[in-house]
Amino acid sequence: MASGDEYDPTPSEDELEAHLQTRNMVVNLGPSHPATHGTVRLRIELDGETIVSMDPEIGFLHRGFQKSCENVTWTQVLPYTDRLDYVAALANNFGYLTAVETLMGVEIPERANYIRVIGAELHRLASHLTTAGALGLELGGFTAFLYALEARDLLTDRVTELTGARLTTSFGRIGGVNRDLPPGWVEKLIKTLDKVEAHAQEVDALLTRNRIFTDRTRGTGVLTQADALDFGFTGPCLRACGVDYDIRKAKPYWAYSKLKFNVPVGHNGDNFDRYYLRILEIKESLSMIRQCLAQMQPGPIMIDDWRITLPPKEQVYSTIEGVIAHFKLVMEGVPVPPGEVYHSTESPNGELGWYLRSDGSGRPYKCHVRAPGFQILSGLKRMTEGKMLADLIPTFDTINMIGGEVEQ
Amino acid sequence: MSDEKKAEAPKPAGPPPPAPPKNPGMVTFTVDGKEVIAKPGTNMVEAVKQVGVEIPYYCYHPRLTIAANCRMCLVESSAAPPGKLVPACQTAIGEGVAIKTTTQKVKDSQRSVMEFLLLNHPVDCSICDQAGECKLQDYYMRYDFKPSKLEGGKVLRNKRKVLGDTVVLDQERCVLCTRCVRFMDEVAKAPQLGVFGRGSHEVVDVAPHVGKLDSNYSGNIVDICPVGALLNRDFRFRARAWFLSAAPSVCTGCSRGCSTFTDFMGQDVYRFRPRENEAINKSWMCDQGRISYKQLNQNRVLTSILGRGADAKDALTAEAVKYAGMKMKPLVGGVAFMASPVASNEDLMAGFAFARDVLKAKEVYVSGRPQGEADFFLMQADKNPNRKGLEWIAKAAGLTLRTFTDLTTAMDAGTIKALYAMGAEVPEAEEVFAKRAEKLELFVVSATNTSKVTAAAHAVLAAASHAEDEGTFTQEAGITQRFRRAFPPKGASQPHWKWAVDLALELGTEIKAMSSRDIFRSMAPSVPELKDFAWDKLAPMNQTRPGIATMAAGADGRPPGWREQGVPSMRGLNIPQGT
Repeated sequence: MASGDEYDPTPSEDELEAHLQTRNMVVNLGPSHPATHGTVRLRIELDGETIVSMDPEIGFLHRGFQKSCENVTWTQVLPYTDRLDYVAALANNFGYLTAVETLMGVEIPERANYIRVIGAELHRLASHLTTAGALGLELGGFTAFLYALEARDLLTDRVTELTGARLTTSFGRIGGVNRDLPPGWVEKLIKTLDKVEAHAQEVDALLTRNRIFTDRTRGTGVLTQADALDFGFTGPCLRACGVDYDIRKAKPYWAYSKLKFNVPVGHNGDNFDRYYLRILEIKESLSMIRQCLAQMQPGPIMIDDWRITLPPKEQVYSTIEGVIAHFKLVMEGVPVPPGEVYHSTESPNGELGWYLRSDGSGRPYKCHVRAPGFQILSGLKRMTEGKMLADLIPTFDTINMIGGEVEQ
Repeated sequence: MSDEKKAEAPKPAGPPPPAPPKNPGMVTFTVDGKEVIAKPGTNMVEAVKQVGVEIPYYCYHPRLTIAANCRMCLVESSAAPPGKLVPACQTAIGEGVAIKTTTQKVKDSQRSVMEFLLLNHPVDCSICDQAGECKLQDYYMRYDFKPSKLEGGKVLRNKRKVLGDTVVLDQERCVLCTRCVRFMDEVAKAPQLGVFGRGSHEVVDVAPHVGKLDSNYSGNIVDICPVGALLNRDFRFRARAWFLSAAPSVCTGCSRGCSTFTDFMGQDVYRFRPRENEAINKSWMCDQGRISYKQLNQNRVLTSILGRGADAKDALTAEAVKYAGMKMKPLVGGVAFMASPVASNEDLMAGFAFARDVLKAKEVYVSGRPQGEADFFLMQADKNPNRKGLEWIAKAAGLTLRTFTDLTTAMDAGTIKALYAMGAEVPEAEEVFAKRAEKLELFVVSATNTSKVTAAAHAVLAAASHAEDEGTFTQEAGITQRFRRAFPPKGASQPHWKWAVDLALELGTEIKAMSSRDIFRSMAPSVPELKDFAWDKLAPMNQTRPGIATMAAGADGRPPGWREQGVPSMRGLNIPQGT
């Protein structure tokens, strides 16, 4: 037998036999794997096909979000927030802005509130469609994925027309939104919503009663209500466990108090409930956007205070008052009064909370994000250990981990 | 009867006697409900500062007489006639008076003043040197923040009225606070400026019979101008205020040693600004000192040069040390040491230790810049910043000081054959000294700037300027001042003290010092005048920079100086509104 580094070309007897493993096998899922939608590494110890232990290793997308925010003005934080939950950038944008406005004690105009609801719900649709479609894809149902992604593309087009960017929207400003709905956009959006509804129904029809799909999702990835609460689950993952908690209802913000909608709640806390809850939420979101379009009135979209919002360009170019306000706001930032605030909104994955602290200067003194994905990912271990390896993939899908917000 | 009644009637009640002061010898009053105790005669603006209340002002300056013409500081006072506001800069505080600075009436007044000041102000921020340190900008955002109501055009005036060699005036930007006029009258003692015209045609200008602003203190009016009307012709259009970092420093133009801020970007200095120092320069500095920053940028010795004339070649620091050491070794005992009082105390401490312990010198020669003009106020005839410190340190080191004339006499007589010079400044014409130096067997000089003297040297050791190292200077009255490092030494230069330490090691003696701080800590205890000096504490780097706000968008949003210092000091940069 060869020993050490020497290579012996003669085959040994052992090589021709397949012995049973006597030790647990360690498998790395990721960091670059089609089924880990974010860049995350799951270190899985297997006894046969049973997961003995599972350890998610995050940090591949860490970019120092919170520290970066301290070095830029309150307004310049906005592009960083796009990169948190990059499937639903508008929810992050508006969540952050609302937190800053709460700290400042500023009320934004009614129309801006409606635009924020529309934007956030558009991206909730996009996020839920992606989750549902990708779940189907990874369980072998490619067709559903195509319908979901076509619907998401339509939504992305509308978002592009609204914000000017497909993914990194950076939309809205402290004190409202920076751009009104483009002309003709509402009519386009109404048609788009009809198409999205039709596509969502296709996804629903293809997956929800599919035998293979339900066999793979029902009863897998189960987490009890108590565990979910202990882990700090929020959003669809918590509601799938039977907890009726949605910040849009519990503590309404923007225009949610003026809208009629239901909060679907699951029973079993398994993959199927998490999936089906999203299908139901898609319907609610579609209804909410339609209600907003019907309710909203023309009006200002930004508050009129030059200490907070930029003056109109013609004033900047032609009056000293405008140029001074512009200069000070851009160079020194919006002067947020000293104080601290925790404010949270319901993002597609759950409670997106902002702890902001100001020392009275134009930059955040501290900017902490409570992104929903982090707590949910930490529950993955409990949901998969002792279960089959094959169930890990749908479970990882339905918790919808997004690397950008988990790792910041 | 009636007489009796009259006599019995009580005297008519006069005004009640004033209550005795709450704090004898002081005046006690309230501002926005907070109690303030101040000396009698203090004006409201100064008195309320101690409780953190800020009253805005343009024309008021603590070191000038009160004009009370900008009306920005109007506040409500219980002692004022009903319905009237009083100017806080002009009104002395009274016992028991209640001042209110945040009522709607005061706010309306402040907004009206801002509106009037900005009414005819040109739309210039993007091309104005003052942008970023401008009181119009600061106060607009705090007290006005409303759109313009102007219909029609603005009043046009002279946008580039050259007042003199130092200052140019933009009359359109002027808010007519007359700080400059009062400064020239009262501090510079050169009443050359005045206000001319009436109404919309009112402008600041040079008095016709004077013709030109030619005071040595005219640069100060640029500093005290609260807006961008008065501009320094040297600094104009050269840098944006928010890109500049500031290090507390000392002017080396003369022996007065005015406290300054060195405003720099990268490794270039852009201007000196006076730093307040009650004992030396108040809030001012002279124009000659102000332009002396150019020595830090121009004609610098960036690499050491070995050999002279046609043989001269650039050398690495290690090569230069080796070369100079090799040349000096056989001459030890016969190398004269010449020290310039332009060098800092730390340079001189190390230099004198080197002269005494390594070169075995008993006496050192004093060079330095030649005498110049003096004036009535700050400028001194002795143009060397550290003569006093040099004398103290030489005495403590047990070295006899000899004059420059002694040196030249000895050089001419041929008794000095080798010379080590710390600093290339000489009090005679450079070419004359260069001629003398050419006859020397060995002439080594550590110099910051190239000159005819350095051209005559066998070895020129590239020396860092005081902006590039930490240290102290002792000015003519014996006040020692700390200066801070703005940026690392330019090129391959290193401070004078480091050359002395390196050469000493090369010649077999170790002077233990890694920094100028080490030198001060090890050697200052032997200098009686310096031993109690709080080297670490004085002139801290985070000293706030009046008028300049930290601009978030400038330099990646990091505070000024982070790149140069390598120490990001993110916090503690509170920006008070300056004078």
